Amino acid sequence: MQAVSDEQLIEWVAGGDASCLGTLFERHNRGVYQYCRQLTRNSAQAEDLAQEVFLKILRKAGSFRREGTFKAWMFNIARNVTLDYLRKAKRQGVTVPVEDAVGQQLVDHRSAEQAAAGKQNMSLVARAMANLPAAVQDVIWLGRFEFDTYEELGQALGCKAGTARVRMHRAMQQLNAEFATINGAPIDV
Amino acid sequence: MSDRKTFNVDFDSDDTGEQKLWAALEELPREAPSANMRRSFYRELDRVNSASWAERLGGWMGINGNAGWVTVAACVLIGIGMGQSFDMTDPEEPMRLEVLEQNVALLNRELILDRLEDATAGRRLRGVIDASNVVQDDAEITRALLVRATEDSVYSVRSAAIDALGPRMSSAAVGNELMILLENAESPLVQLALVDLVLRNGNDAQLQQLLQLSDKGRLHPDLTKHVNNYLGSESI
Repeated sequence: MQAVSDEQLIEWVAGGDASCLGTLFERHNRGVYQYCRQLTRNSAQAEDLAQEVFLKILRKAGSFRREGTFKAWMFNIARNVTLDYLRKAKRQGVTVPVEDAVGQQLVDHRSAEQAAAGKQNMSLVARAMANLPAAVQDVIWLGRFEFDTYEELGQALGCKAGTARVRMHRAMQQLNAEFATINGAPIDV
Repeated sequence: MSDRKTFNVDFDSDDTGEQKLWAALEELPREAPSANMRRSFYRELDRVNSASWAERLGGWMGINGNAGWVTVAACVLIGIGMGQSFDMTDPEEPMRLEVLEQNVALLNRELILDRLEDATAGRRLRGVIDASNVVQDDAEITRALLVRATEDSVYSVRSAAIDALGPRMSSAAVGNELMILLENAESPLVQLALVDLVLRNGNDAQLQQLLQLSDKGRLHPDLTKHVNNYLGSESI
């Protein structure tokens, strides 16, 4: 339980106390970074974008309304910043170096054989995710790692809860199809 | 290091593959940002916080931008001029004072017109509120208000502009514009502001026109009821 809610902090930021943004940054920088990292697949770029997200929060603090949660509002900003960046990069023909984080990051406590199989599967899941359009990846990422209700997910995506649920189902269908294409067969964990 | 704390929405699917994938996603790598990001962010935050005193003062006073500062400078000069004029025992003193007052009014008017055309909805709204005090005497401000009432993309600005034009309902030009606007308005909020205006300030012809629109079903059903209730007991 946090002593001061995110919503209270952002109101203080809007009231001119920019130092409260530091607390919000400490609470959420990792989640925002990981989201940007998933969509850009580049650590340096993700750090730049995450920083931009928090500075944008500072500029737009006054426009936060308690109609939804701060976190959903923040991820809505993160989404716009990241998708804008990807659109611009595509338009300008900029190629962002893609990093593969699966090899170094996977933590597996099972037997060596199971771990190897799991690692291969994970690599395929990560590849399948990366092959999806950014706007599809972001639905899956936010729903899988950041929000526990479709209402909040909808706020972050800028749509209603019912629409967010439908988008999640379609996104998972696409992931499933992509995985089967890469693997030559459906997932078998 | 990965942050393994996760939320997740309730995903249910008949497809086993999708369910397995949903579970497998949990293991996707989620690396932490480097310490560099934190340093870089706080450096940038410091830079933003130490913006020039003029910018901050401008922000506090709500006079961002060059136009705001020019107005402030002009007001200060006028203030100094007025102060000096009070010290003088010149026989032309009342006339000079009058000129200065006119200059202040002119600057105020320019400020209102600027605000009415501002790109920010909040400033346009403030312009509308300021304009409501001078609207009766100024044709240009009335025109600018009509533009806000008919074209503004933000409903609250449109509604406020309609409200501000209320005292001018009796003027044929303004009255006609507002009645045309009522005929074409599709937003219930804008309709409500206009209906309310006609009911409060409209002349007999305008009230008749309102009843006709209501009878033709051109108003939102709730507004039709409101008009009928309001006018039901009155003879026009």
